[in-house]
Amino acid sequence: MSEASYRVLVVEDDPHLSAGLAENLRAEGYAVESIGDGQAAVDWFTDKRCDLIVLDVMLPSLDGFAVCKTLRERGTTTPVLFLTARGDPADRIRGLESGGDDYLAKPFHLQEFLLRVRAILRRWDWYKASSASAATAVLKFGGNEVDFNAFRGRSYTGETQELTEKEAMILKVLAEKPGEIVSREDLLERVWGYDVFPSTRTVDNFILRLRKRFEHDPANPKHFLTVWGVGYRFVPDGRASA
Amino acid sequence: MKSARLFQLTALILVVVSFFQVCYWVIAQRAYTLTKVGQIQTLYVQQLEASRALLAAGTAPERIHAIFPDVTVQNGQAALVPGLSESLGAEQQRRSTQYLWEGGFFLLALCLCIAVIWRALRAEAEILKEQDNFLALVSHQFKTPLASLQLSLETMALRELPPERSKALIDRMLSDLMRMETMVSQILDSVRLDRGRVEFKREPVPLAGIVTRVVGQFQERAQNDHIGIETAVPDGVQILADPLAVDVVVRNLLENALAAVVPLGGGKISLNARTVGTEVELTVRDSGIGFKPEDHTRLFEKFSRLQPVANSSYYGTGLGLFIVRRLMELVGGRVTARSEGLGRGSEFVLTWQQP
Repeated sequence: MSEASYRVLVVEDDPHLSAGLAENLRAEGYAVESIGDGQAAVDWFTDKRCDLIVLDVMLPSLDGFAVCKTLRERGTTTPVLFLTARGDPADRIRGLESGGDDYLAKPFHLQEFLLRVRAILRRWDWYKASSASAATAVLKFGGNEVDFNAFRGRSYTGETQELTEKEAMILKVLAEKPGEIVSREDLLERVWGYDVFPSTRTVDNFILRLRKRFEHDPANPKHFLTVWGVGYRFVPDGRASA
Repeated sequence: MKSARLFQLTALILVVVSFFQVCYWVIAQRAYTLTKVGQIQTLYVQQLEASRALLAAGTAPERIHAIFPDVTVQNGQAALVPGLSESLGAEQQRRSTQYLWEGGFFLLALCLCIAVIWRALRAEAEILKEQDNFLALVSHQFKTPLASLQLSLETMALRELPPERSKALIDRMLSDLMRMETMVSQILDSVRLDRGRVEFKREPVPLAGIVTRVVGQFQERAQNDHIGIETAVPDGVQILADPLAVDVVVRNLLENALAAVVPLGGGKISLNARTVGTEVELTVRDSGIGFKPEDHTRLFEKFSRLQPVANSSYYGTGLGLFIVRRLMELVGGRVTARSEGLGRGSEFVLTWQQP
């Protein structure tokens, strides 16, 4: 996909910054829409779609975290790059846990911003491409079924599981190499792309969530196995024992 | 700050320990009195029994009274000296009351100490929290124009731009710099006003002169933005205020009105003065973006940001109206705001006393 076919929504209430970001994104070939208000951004998604949201945190009417959370709750999986003047680790984690993909503290370097935009879009391209065929769109293991395009799964109990985009991406990375060890760093790089989290422990939390959704006994997993000190191994048929 | 806090905390711990020590002392003294009374009562019973035994053995009553002065023998019967039990009971009551009063007084004094130290600690914590919030807000306010400046500069460094684009970016950077400069002076003003460090005169000030001068300084800008400014301030209207403070207040309200009208592509601003009883009212009315009626007090709070209009080129610091309110309060005046709602203009009324 060329840059020209990507549509980026810039949600920033400062007109100078918003204009500067839009101009630079356009110069890189992206189609850009700009909005200066949180609620307006949420409303925009009722009848429009884009490939990436550049989202300021301190916005009038609805802050960036709330915008991201609302969009995720409504099933919008569009990746989000947070921009904020507050750059402390707690705030970064809050942003990423509300469903953001990356986080950039103001003031930032233009090239770093463009690099991150490109990296997020590349990761989503990989995800979409690797879920494009009928064979790769659905993953079946141990009575569980996951539809990567719908971000939805059905566990062995028959219960529907709504996956977050990060959970789906982690599952996708692991499922690409069944039975092989995937390191935590590899998962971070493939799913988040940058050192946005303070530690690789965050990956562990996402694995725990996947186990709770799909393992018969999350404490004694058969599919999402920990390889101590290295990372994880995904075993679709669950034959190996932890 | 830290050593004062440490001192307060140490004092608080000492006072709390003393409080419990006094409670213990009252309880221990009462228990000691009760034990002593009990022991004396037992002694009396033993003396009575011994006296009765001696009496039965034929000892003379005088001899028995000599051995046990608390016992008398009357009509061949040994008994305690009349009034002894009552005086023992009265002594017990006196001591209990004394300990309760003394203990109560000390406990009350210690409670007062605890309350005073606790209040001081709470007030200090509030100040620290406010300072943290202020710093966080200030840094946030600065980082946005800083980010915009950096973005403009890096755009110029990264890309080959035609002269008109470069000119637009330079204008944007100059505007960001002006925004930061305004912020610095407004933040300094607000801190000074907040701490009451500024002293104001209260003297008769001709209102028309100040309004005409300030409006004159805004006329060119207003014309460029297609905004008409009308003034109706009768000559001779005088207010009791500080001339410099009046200048700042009118300037801030005009800045605010311009910022509210610019996003709509033009409009009107009017300044009307009238005398109401012993007061003078100056009404600054604009046809701008307005605000939600329920926000009429919130917009005077420090760093308050109300909903902006899309494509607005205004960057408020969130301090202008806070400064207006503080300045009016400090010279004994007041300011109120009113709007019919978003997009329906707004009205600010400044009220001063007449000399």
